[in-house]
Parts: sequence; C-alpha cells; structure tokens
Amino acid sequence: MDSIVDDVMTSLGDEVSRDQVKKKLQTFLDYGVPLDQARQAVLKKFGAGSAPAGLTTKKLAEVQPGDRRLQVTGKIVAIEKWDVEVRGEQRTIFRGLIGDDTEVLPFTAWKDFGLQSGDVVTLKNAYANEWSGQARLNISEWTEVSPAEVSIQLAERTPQRFKVIDLRPGLSNVEVKGKVLSLEEREVTVDGDSKKVYTGLLGDPSGKIQYNAWHDFGLQENEVIQVSGAYTKSWRGTPQLVFDERATVKKLDEKIATEDIAQRPVSLYKVVEGGGGVDIIMEGSVIEIQSGSGLIERCPQCNRAIRDGICVIDGEVTGQPDLRIKAVVDDGTGAVTAILDREMTEQMMEKTMEDYRRLAREQGEEAVDREIQQRLMAHPIRVTGNALADDYGVTVIVRDATLIMPDIAAESQRLLEELEVTE
Amino acid sequence: MREPALRVFAGEYNEATHQVGGEGEKEPSYILTPLGAMVNRLFIVGVLTDVENVSAEGDMWRAHVSDPTGIYAVYAGQYQPEAAAFLAEADTPSYVAITGKARGYEPEPDVLFVSVRPEVIWEVDSQLRDYWILETSRHTRQRIEAVEEARRMNPPSRARLTEIGYPPALATGVVTALQAYPDVDLEHYRFLLREALSHFSAGKISTSQEIDEAEEAVLALVRDCEGDDGALWDEIVERGEEQKLERTLVEEALTSLMDKGLVYEPILGKLKTT
Repeated sequence: MDSIVDDVMTSLGDEVSRDQVKKKLQTFLDYGVPLDQARQAVLKKFGAGSAPAGLTTKKLAEVQPGDRRLQVTGKIVAIEKWDVEVRGEQRTIFRGLIGDDTEVLPFTAWKDFGLQSGDVVTLKNAYANEWSGQARLNISEWTEVSPAEVSIQLAERTPQRFKVIDLRPGLSNVEVKGKVLSLEEREVTVDGDSKKVYTGLLGDPSGKIQYNAWHDFGLQENEVIQVSGAYTKSWRGTPQLVFDERATVKKLDEKIATEDIAQRPVSLYKVVEGGGGVDIIMEGSVIEIQSGSGLIERCPQCNRAIRDGICVIDGEVTGQPDLRIKAVVDDGTGAVTAILDREMTEQMMEKTMEDYRRLAREQGEEAVDREIQQRLMAHPIRVTGNALADDYGVTVIVRDATLIMPDIAAESQRLLEELEVTE
Repeated sequence: MREPALRVFAGEYNEATHQVGGEGEKEPSYILTPLGAMVNRLFIVGVLTDVENVSAEGDMWRAHVSDPTGIYAVYAGQYQPEAAAFLAEADTPSYVAITGKARGYEPEPDVLFVSVRPEVIWEVDSQLRDYWILETSRHTRQRIEAVEEARRMNPPSRARLTEIGYPPALATGVVTALQAYPDVDLEHYRFLLREALSHFSAGKISTSQEIDEAEEAVLALVRDCEGDDGALWDEIVERGEEQKLERTLVEEALTSLMDKGLVYEPILGKLKTT
C-alpha cells in the first residue's frame, strides 16, 4: 500500500497531500477495486493529466538500461542529425547528449522534436536501453517533450579512458594517452572563417588513430600526450580523434618507443566494431577468395575493374590488365575483406602477372584462380594495412602480407599443459 | 555486416539444441551451443569421410566431415552448385576446408538436428587441418573459461564479461546459453578439448589400455547390431553397459572409432562399420 502511494505521489508531484492520496486509494480498495486499478483511478481522480500513469521521475545518474516510462529533466548538450535505415526504411533521427546535475547521457530522438543544443526540457515517457556499456535515453513518438523553466548546472563528467584501439566513432568525453607519430598544420575554412587545424597520427601499444586538433596545443612530434575531453567520429572509413579548446592536453614526461607502437595483431571483432582503423596488424585464416580475384581488367580512364571490355562509367574501353586478390580473412570473432594489389599478389604468390597471363593463355583463367586458392585457402595469414569500414563491412588495403604457421605440436602441447594447471 | 565464421568442434556444435534470433526479416539466426557460441557461419577443416546422393533427382549431397571430437553433417544442393559439384567428385577420405552456414532443423520442440550448408569447400593438406584443430581448441577453451566466469557472477552479466575482455558476441552467447543450458557439464567439454589436443601427441591417449579394450569391444558390438540399417547409438550404449562398460567410456570409444574411420553415422543416431 505504502509503495503504491509513493508511486502515485511521484507521478503527481506536490499538487496533493499524501494523506489525500492514501485516503482516496483506501476508499477504492474498500469497494473491492483491485490494487492496480485503484492506483489508476486515483491518478485519474487527482488529474494526473500532466503525467501519464506510472511515470517514474529519475535523475539521469539513476537511469538504468531497460527503464521504461521515465520522466527526466535535462539540458541538451549536443545534438546531431543522422540518416539511418530502420527495417529497410530511410529515417531521420537525432542523436546527442542530455545532462543534468548528476550525469550526462547519450540519447536518441526517433523523430524531430525541434530540440536544440542548450534547450532545457522535461521528457515524459522516455525509455532507456544499453549502448556501449551505459544507459541511453530514447525519445520516441510517445514521449512528451516540453520546455522546463529550470537552470541546470551540468555534472562534471569524468572522462572515460580508452586505449587507442578501443576508440570507435561516436564517443564523447574521451581520455587517451599516446605518442604523436606525425603532425601537420593546415589552414581550413569553417563557416567563412579561416582556421588552423593540426592533424596526424597518435599511437599507443594497442594501435594508431588519426587526430584533428582544432586548437594550437603546441604539439610536437614524438612527444607523449594525454588528451582529456576529446570525441571521436568516422572519417573516410576510419575513426578519428577530435579535440578543441574545451579539451585539455597534458604533455607527459614519458617515452613510448616507436617499435612498441601497434605491433600486436588486433582481434578482428575489434577492427569491425571499432569502425576500421589505420595501420592495423591483423591475423586470421583465409576462408574465402572472392570473385574478382586473379587476372582482371581495368578501365584506362577511371581505373575501375571492368568486365568484358565494358566500364560502367566510360562504356566500351580497351581494358588494362591487372592482378589482385580479394580474400576474406576471418579469425573466428570477425571478418574483413583483404585486398592485395598487383605488387602484393605477386609477392604472395611468388609469380609475376606476366607468368599468370601466360598460364591463363595456356590453361584458362580458372588455372590462375586455382593456384591462388590452393595457396591461400584455409591458410593463416597476417596482414597489415588501413582498415576501412562502411555499411557492408571492413575492407583492408593490404600494405604487407605474410602466410604464417606456428609450431603446431609445441603450441598444442602448451595449451594442453595450461589446461592441466587450471584444473 | 558479415557474420564471422566460428571455430566450433563437432562435439560442441552437435550438442546444440537451441536456436536464437532470426525473428525479424533481416535479423540473422544462430545455433546456440552449450558453451555460448552463437553460430551463424562456421569454418571447419576435417576429414571428408563419406559422400552420398540423398535425393531422387540427384541434386542433394550429404557428406560427413570428421574432426577429433565428432562428425559434422554437411548438405549441398542445387543452390550450392560449386559445393555440390565438389562433393560429387571428391575422394574419401580427404582433408577439406569448409566455410558454411549453420543450419538447424527442429522436428519437434527441444530436438534440433544441426548441419552445415557449405558456401566454399576446398581440399587442403594435413597441416592446415592440424592448424585448425589448434585454433578451434583455443576458441573452445575461451568459451569454457567464459562460462566459468559467468557462473561466478550473480546474475551473469554481458557487460561484466566484455569488461574483462571477452568479445561482445561471446558475452551475449554465454549469458544466453546459461539460461538455455543451465546444467551444462564443463567437464565434458574439457575432456573433448583434451581429446582434440591429444591428436598431436598421436597414440598417447589410445595407448591407454582401457580405451583400447573398450574400442575393440564396442566395435564388435556395432558389428553385431548393425544389420542393414545400422545399429542404434542407444542400443550400443545399453549393450556396453551390460558388459560393464561405463556409458561415457562407450561414447568415447564410439567417437574415437568414428575418428579413425572404423565406424560412421549414415544417419543421425545410427552407426555402421566401414
């Protein structure tokens, strides 16, 4: 009974006294009305028209994934328009951050509520799900959004610390430590104003990432820095770290040797979920050689791969011969398509394109495909290169590739011994 | 996104009795193994032991591919023309690599027959098969450990599992599997893993007097019972028990015999000698 009264009070606010609510509820119960119906009736009675029955008011820090029928008040910290495909349908949604004095949370608005950065609003009947380990608010078409006349002192958020390899597009308030591997100063025009931007690569033992600094932090090549309050986005298929004057950059008195940076292979699920990356080492088995591998022809004008002398852009052309391999590399956790260009393919196959053209003339192009498959299928391989992500998956432009093979007997013996130990 | 090709031994894959996902039109479906592998696609390298044309029209091939822990059922039909053509011509035994889709057939609730529909199939050498066993052992061990970790949590938490370093897909699978298979016997999978790894120290396990004798006895039992249609698995186990052979020992012996190619399973649950 008391908990029901509490619940009703939360929904009604301070408009009625607790005694009134309790008395009214008791009346309904005395008439034999079931508890839940009685609660609804009381809510209606006291004109909870402003709040649909059963809303729970929470501070943002209290919001948990799975919460339904939430009422929260907060300030829109950032908002961005996204075009997404939902069940095959193109839709425009809005993503951003909403904050109060306890927490700043990501949100998704499933329609245009005209929200703007800086607005303070009350959301009635919102819900929360989980996104990358934290709660995310969802503002749906059943959510009521109204302006709130309160001022909000945003919670100081402690930045979340990441290793470079774990940075994926769409993060905010990031803290990361790494070595400035390269640095370039460029002049760009933003909204008619000329601005300086500092770009390059930042690396730690786990990986490398492109960065964009919109403020002169006096960065130097080879120094180790700690950036707090940065965010990430996707840029040309790889994650990019962005920081401006709102971020802090600490120069650390430590060294990271170049040979310690990004030397270990990265699990492929991380490459896929991380939205690609620069200069990544990956290992897996070749589980498929895709069509379009082997001898191909390219359009002399646009360099696209063509079939039967017809380019989709330039029409009938005299194709230029080329050689490449498109291999699906999979480590059991994720899969990428590795593209080996002519040079990489020749090196991998220990044959030249001319050798293969001769083979194709003598025995047909299938003979070339067979040789490639015979050498690579099911074989473990290590590839290094830039991994580019799009809606369909991750493509690796291979800069270096080696077939690998561990000492199987020794490795399995070790595994067997580890098993005995852990039991 | 392309679904990864999981490394799952036949001994684990065939124990799956649950499927998850596949509800929306675009949502992929998965075979959920007792160790929490969510298998949509898998990559296997093993021994092609037999190929049979199972359709009257002659365009559906059933093959068996053996690994150290069990046997995969592989089906290729008119929609897998390259795989079907390969199987039609293939020599047995031979080492093959298969990238394929996980299939489940559920004739009644709680009964699931799993199989593999190949996308790509290729002949390989024994070294690549050995590498696959090593790799699949590593993945199996990771799943066993993840299940152990999750059992220590109250309640098992996906977020916590990813925090301590397990891939998100595995974390989801393990938490789901603990509900679907509350009584999963990890000891069984540790045994399976040791079996697989002992493959490299050939003879070590089979020198064990007990297993050798059991194998001989069990092989005799299969010969005794097989007739034209094959012997029922359960019948062999029962007859074994009559001879004071423990159930697990009989099953181990059967697995080992299939491994050696002395016994095969023409249809699920029935056994024949080769």
